[in-house]
Amino acid sequence: MTVRINARNRAHAFDASAGESILYAGLRQGLSLPYECASGTCGTCKARLLSGEIENHWPQAPGGKLLKAADEFLMCQCSARGEVSVEVTAFVHETPAGTFVPRPLGAKIAAATMLAPDVLQLDVQLERGLEFDAGQFVLVRVPGIDGWRGWSMVNYARNPQTLRFVVKNKPGGGLSDWLFSAPRAGSTVEVFGPLGSATFHPSLGKDIVCIAGGSGIAGMMSILARAEQDGYFVHHSGDVFFGVRTLRDAFYLDEFTRLRQRCGERLRVTIALSDEAAAPNAAHPLLAFETGLVHEVAQRALNGRLEGVRAYLAGPPPAVDASVRMLLMARVSTANIRYDKFS
Amino acid sequence: MSRVRVCNADDLPPGGMKAYDTELGVKVLVVRAGETFHAYQGLCPHQDVCLDEGFFDGSTLTCHQHLWQWDIATGAAVGLAEAPLERYELEQEGGAIYVVQSSALQAAELFRGVSDSTITRLDALARRETHPADSTLYEIGDPADDVYVLESGRVEFTIGRDDRTSMAGFMLRKGEVFGWAALLEDHPRRIAKSRCVEGSSLVRLAGKEVLKVLADDPMSGFLVMKQLSTLITKHLGSSGDK
Repeated sequence: MTVRINARNRAHAFDASAGESILYAGLRQGLSLPYECASGTCGTCKARLLSGEIENHWPQAPGGKLLKAADEFLMCQCSARGEVSVEVTAFVHETPAGTFVPRPLGAKIAAATMLAPDVLQLDVQLERGLEFDAGQFVLVRVPGIDGWRGWSMVNYARNPQTLRFVVKNKPGGGLSDWLFSAPRAGSTVEVFGPLGSATFHPSLGKDIVCIAGGSGIAGMMSILARAEQDGYFVHHSGDVFFGVRTLRDAFYLDEFTRLRQRCGERLRVTIALSDEAAAPNAAHPLLAFETGLVHEVAQRALNGRLEGVRAYLAGPPPAVDASVRMLLMARVSTANIRYDKFS
Repeated sequence: MSRVRVCNADDLPPGGMKAYDTELGVKVLVVRAGETFHAYQGLCPHQDVCLDEGFFDGSTLTCHQHLWQWDIATGAAVGLAEAPLERYELEQEGGAIYVVQSSALQAAELFRGVSDSTITRLDALARRETHPADSTLYEIGDPADDVYVLESGRVEFTIGRDDRTSMAGFMLRKGEVFGWAALLEDHPRRIAKSRCVEGSSLVRLAGKEVLKVLADDPMSGFLVMKQLSTLITKHLGSSGDK
């Protein structure tokens, strides 16, 4: 089926399969369609239906709060029934050479490990390698369970065939219930990606700050892996703030200690505990432990050191919003505040 | 120009901002920077998010949705923002704040920073027109004499001929400029068809006359040409790094 899209600057046309999200169809064919979460929550992929018929796979999607008129819809949640014409108010270009165009991939769960009481680490084996930038995410869907979930890669390598993710248990969430209720190694999943613009590349040449709450630490691990591989912390500093409720909820502490040993003193890692008093940890003397919400801990630690940094943010939306506000008030430019909106 | 009362000066603390529904039929954002007040469109030009939910640090306004930013003194786009904010003239009288809607010419990004005397001369050249829905402004091959500024409505462009036409973008914000071939040398003919999709109100200026006015004020002329080249690049070029 052909989708015609009128953008602010020009028209494009692309094919979409039956049942395929209009957004994913356009993205896999190399168009820079507007999106952030690509999974129904942020509303960024809002479009207007000019002609033809669409099927809405998730009419209650939270991103629908941004829809004002009856003919507006979220491209990520809708597929075309026959030829359709749609309009977006964004400028849409063909994605420049050198960016990784997302595509669908078959995959299976290779391993699942509990990291904390309600946090699971998943290794997913892909049918083929997938190139991505550190900090990106993919969408994952399990056959028989509705909807795609956005998960950030933890690992970083050139063209890896395995992707590692961190998944938080959200009771009542269809996929979460499925994942946490029984061992799922060997199960088939579908992957679509890579997606997301909160990317790190060593050519950046700036000090970096990572502020993450809970499972949001996943993408930061990928960024740190890339930085470590490139010796980035020889010349630049890295400040990582990982917010959790209590010490029991923290994970990857051994990995942070290893990174700290490998990368040296320019990498500083702070675990922020919001619901209990922090104390130095004998098992991890190279890591700092502080009490408070992650953006407050980051603000205290970075006071006066935010000039010229690039900040990466991830985690629960209130934590990300508070961190954005903190960074803007410290006059960090918006070009240097990177995150993908999931709210 | 209609003037409407929006709020009282002491409704806002220093550094505060609030969006008000007005009799103009639009939301207006009033921002207090110290003792100075500014008034802008109340909704973000990106996705109509209410701007008083955003951040204001005393000099820069940020929409919290996608971090578009504007200079509070001028409404000029800063950083990631792809469009300026429409500015309202603001008047204070006995503790009350009134706003006056600006003309399309004053709102046009193309003429941002142009001196008041030159804006006045351009305004004298301007012809204001309204066109019904589905009316054609110009066809491919027509002489490219006039440059247009959108006041309200919606204008769409198509390129190609007969059954091989394709949409070449559209304009929908007050102050957007099209038909800019009229400001270029050696581009005497239209290369796209232009059609009002909705009933639209436009400001129309003869390109040659605009160039004469700008030649008398080279500093303003430089700004307009600089802003014109940015505009052309935006419509033709790649989006680049976010």
